[in-house]
Amino acid sequence: MKKIQTAAVIFLSFLIISGVSWLNAAENDGPKADLPVIVSSCGQSPGPALLKVLFMKMKLEHKPKAYEINPLATADDLIKMKEAGTPYRTLIIVMGASLKGMGAAGISIDDELVRTKKLIEEARNQSITLIGAHIEGMKRRAQGASAGDNTDELSIDAVAPASDFLIINKAGDEDGRFTTIANEKNIPMVSVEKNLELLEELKKIFTK
Amino acid sequence: MAYVKLTTLRKIVFSLAGVALMLFAGISFYRIRHLKEPVVLGQGVTQVKKLSDYFKGIKGTINDSYVYMLEGEEAGGTVLVIGGTHPEEPAARLAAWIFTENALLEQGKLLVILSANRSATTVTRLGGAYPPDYTIETPWGGQKFRMGDRWSNPLDQWPDPEVYIHYPSRQELAYIDIRNLNRTWPGRPNGTLTEKTCFAIIQLIKEENVDIAIDLHEAELQYPVISTIVAHQNGQDLAAMASMMISGMEGFDIGMENSPEALHGLSHREIGDHTDAISLLLEAPEPMLDATRGRTDRALLLEGKDEFIVKAGKHGLLFEKMDENGWPIDKRVGRHCSTILQIIELWSEEHQEKALIIKNVPRYKEIIAKGTGAFLHNPATAASNRIKYE
Repeated sequence: MKKIQTAAVIFLSFLIISGVSWLNAAENDGPKADLPVIVSSCGQSPGPALLKVLFMKMKLEHKPKAYEINPLATADDLIKMKEAGTPYRTLIIVMGASLKGMGAAGISIDDELVRTKKLIEEARNQSITLIGAHIEGMKRRAQGASAGDNTDELSIDAVAPASDFLIINKAGDEDGRFTTIANEKNIPMVSVEKNLELLEELKKIFTK
Repeated sequence: MAYVKLTTLRKIVFSLAGVALMLFAGISFYRIRHLKEPVVLGQGVTQVKKLSDYFKGIKGTINDSYVYMLEGEEAGGTVLVIGGTHPEEPAARLAAWIFTENALLEQGKLLVILSANRSATTVTRLGGAYPPDYTIETPWGGQKFRMGDRWSNPLDQWPDPEVYIHYPSRQELAYIDIRNLNRTWPGRPNGTLTEKTCFAIIQLIKEENVDIAIDLHEAELQYPVISTIVAHQNGQDLAAMASMMISGMEGFDIGMENSPEALHGLSHREIGDHTDAISLLLEAPEPMLDATRGRTDRALLLEGKDEFIVKAGKHGLLFEKMDENGWPIDKRVGRHCSTILQIIELWSEEHQEKALIIKNVPRYKEIIAKGTGAFLHNPATAASNRIKYE
């Protein structure tokens, strides 16, 4: 009888401990990614600058560098880091176009699409996690843009369906564009109301 | 003979009608050019300088504007708030007015210009049938302000060239923008009045060791650079953080845009390129500036309601939301006040030796709740040595 009681206590303890562990695991559920991360853009919107300050605030530790912001990153940049023995493990591409941004860089959306395609292909070759981010709301959607300007949507088409997961500000998903892509392609999606919430979301993503 | 007499009579009648119209218009122009806008110096104002204190070449001109200085007891950073670059964007001047009449500095120095292009405050868009002035209701009565224009008054700077070649970039810009204060930065000492004004403000920024220069504006809803902070690359991190903090905490959304490196003459580009100051430009929505607006009157200017712009929004032609509630002046002024405060607070967190601690300035929600006029002070009850006229 005593043995049965002891076994029952052990079994219950196991259940409780495993339950707590399961709860902890549930809290940390959600997509994960590794460092170092490189942040780029498809369309030269200022989105990478927003992510930069969030990464600065997070104070992530990783040698030689936890993050790199390069709105014009190329496949060669990924190759160089791999050859140097410090490959990027995650690539974030911020979607949304800025005609001013592209004009300032002296490039067009066509140039951006070619660069982004090669960048994503190289990320795939290196098994780098690709995160598509759209964090500037409806301002970076075709609605409201100049007549005939579909640069935002081209940028989204180039990145979102190829992403391992998406980070979206809900204001940019008012028409369900990203929800539809996520559902159709079975891509996990992290949504925030305010970009300040991204600080916690990025911590969850990049913290083991 | 009778025909000659009739012709002469007709000439006389038309001439008299013309003279009457000129007289009527002339009186209106004179009144608005000489309308005195009172500024009640808040307790925080420690000195009032003029732009000619920094550049003698502007002395005696209409653009020798006041520079209000608010200094804390403890040394810290210096921020310049520029209102009235485009006086037809009234939230910019009114937000600067609120800082001048209310702000109390505990640390650092705040410099405020209410009429960066005072010449442009004395005229409205030619042929645009704009109202010449507007009145902000206050608990002690109404305070009248000049409506103003985007460009310097042709009475002060004329003629315009066929093509305006910006100095020093030599970029070709629209001819009329030679009178646009936000196309003539960094200016030059021997240039036009507008260029001299920019040069004077650049000298001020250098002499006062300004850390951040914030140029206040409003924009039409059909213009993509709206509800945003335009940042020189030296201020990108600050603008990005401010954008997120404001959207998360202040009750309104504001984005950020990078200042294009090849677009010259604008404050967010040239102040950053030609001085050590971080250069930021704030844009709030102003429906009156939209081309598809209806009646252009004081109500549209202050309430920001317009059914035609709402319709444009339904056709996907706007870069900012617009509904029947419009964009009232209190919202627009509140946005500027909160954005300035957030920028300064974030800057101060990261640069404690260059911090500014500012009290007694209302934020977005408070200005919406109480109205802009609640923060303007009654010149009739102020000491005469604490009043200036813009």
